[in-house]
Amino acid sequence: MFPLETVDIFFYIVSTIIIVTAILTVTAKNVLQSAIFLIFSFIGTAVFYLMLHAEFNAIAQVMIYAGGVVIFVVFTILLTSRLGETSLPIKIPRSFIAAVISLSLVFVMWRFLLPDASLIRTLPGANSDFASLESIAIRLLGIDANGFVIAFELISVLLLVTLICSITIARKSKENK
Amino acid sequence: MIDPVISHPLGDFIREIIPIPEISFLINALISIIAICAVAIGTAPILIYMERKICAHIQCRLGPMRLGFHGTLQTIADVMKLLFKEVYAPKGADKFLFYLAPMISLTAPFLALTMIPFDHNLQVANLSVGIPFIIAVNGFGILGILIGGWASNNKYSLLGSLRSGAQMISYEISFALVLLFVVMVSGSANLMDITQSQSGTILDWWIFKIPVLGFIAFIMFFISSTAELNRAPFDIAEAEQELTGGYHTEYNGTAFAMFYLAEYINLVTTSSLATTCFLGGFYPPLIGIESIDTLLLKVPGFIWFAGKVFFMISAYMVVRWTFVRPRVDQLMDFEWKFLLPANLLLLALGATYIAIIG
Repeated sequence: MFPLETVDIFFYIVSTIIIVTAILTVTAKNVLQSAIFLIFSFIGTAVFYLMLHAEFNAIAQVMIYAGGVVIFVVFTILLTSRLGETSLPIKIPRSFIAAVISLSLVFVMWRFLLPDASLIRTLPGANSDFASLESIAIRLLGIDANGFVIAFELISVLLLVTLICSITIARKSKENK
Repeated sequence: MIDPVISHPLGDFIREIIPIPEISFLINALISIIAICAVAIGTAPILIYMERKICAHIQCRLGPMRLGFHGTLQTIADVMKLLFKEVYAPKGADKFLFYLAPMISLTAPFLALTMIPFDHNLQVANLSVGIPFIIAVNGFGILGILIGGWASNNKYSLLGSLRSGAQMISYEISFALVLLFVVMVSGSANLMDITQSQSGTILDWWIFKIPVLGFIAFIMFFISSTAELNRAPFDIAEAEQELTGGYHTEYNGTAFAMFYLAEYINLVTTSSLATTCFLGGFYPPLIGIESIDTLLLKVPGFIWFAGKVFFMISAYMVVRWTFVRPRVDQLMDFEWKFLLPANLLLLALGATYIAIIG
């Protein structure tokens, strides 16, 4: 839809947001603030999925990571007492080592991935409905050689079992009283 | 990228007169944002006035009467007061999170409103993942309440936000499962397709189309969405008698107005969702008699939509001022021991219905 230059500008804006929030996640003094920055980083990743025509992945990213995992993290942080009174002491040598390790990782990626000409292309050639909800669903529930119906059914039965387990646990605790 | 699905003739018109795709996309996006904001922010004062009047009449009193005709100007006066109040954070509060929380909780209802089809051509984004999107953005509402309660540095706020977080996370499961039931019977997660699967007479709406099950699903949606909205009888998050106001005890001025606004826009969004999923969306209630149906069809779809939405909203309001509030443990028991098993059973019965009758 857009010419490539516009998509490029958008890509750089989003990736800057992701990098800045990711750095803030590890440097923030308050654990709760870290969790909030982590959410923004996750949402940035979801925007990347949208740019790659993977709508369902983007929604799943927001639903599972931003809406599910981080909310539970926030919830457990809130249940811990005396948050905010004492901040985690960050020792200088440890953060120095962490910075060295991450910078060397960036260097390795820049050195070995960038020369690969096939990776420099801005957008992959997938059309817009390649990873839509319908095509993913048809692929997951397919019974031919490309389908994943057995794995899908196993996982769904597992999730159903966990739901029923939670109901039974809730029921039991009341009877014991 | 998502294509700018402004299928409205206005969108085509702007694409026609402005040849550069980026600029016409931006203008279309801007129009959509303004439209959504106008709908959401415009209805909020009406809803606040409506709530006050319904509450007053249920409790056998008059409600706002002094300002304007039957107190119609009271809401505007209150909005002005809230806007010009000084905004300040309490001592010892986490300033960054304190001011971020109302913005986060205001994001969710606005995002969900973009998915709602108001008429054949009145929909901002026609995504194939509409229902998952709404379930996904609902999480932000919980997040705003949790952060706001913690950042206030107040024990009442923290207790309120923890209660409401537990409640909303629990009831979100039933909320999602009822929506899943609708997706299952209509065969699509796209809200436009769900609406169009209900075209025809009033008996084709999903509340009546599947005998008994549709109505049970509608009642379950009503219960779980009332809990999602933090409205009475499930308003333990802000139970005045116990918590002096819950998570927004320390908020004032514009920040409080944003929480308040989020509550009412959420009401609009949830009612629109109920209308779209169960009450036939923008289709008129045709009854199969030719002479009446031609008259009903002359009324535009968005008026039918608004009528159904306001019917749902008044149902929520009457429920709010009629029932008593359950205790926290009773509320959680109700979700985990009754609503969730009933929902799973409903899904199984719905699947059986589709397999046998079609």
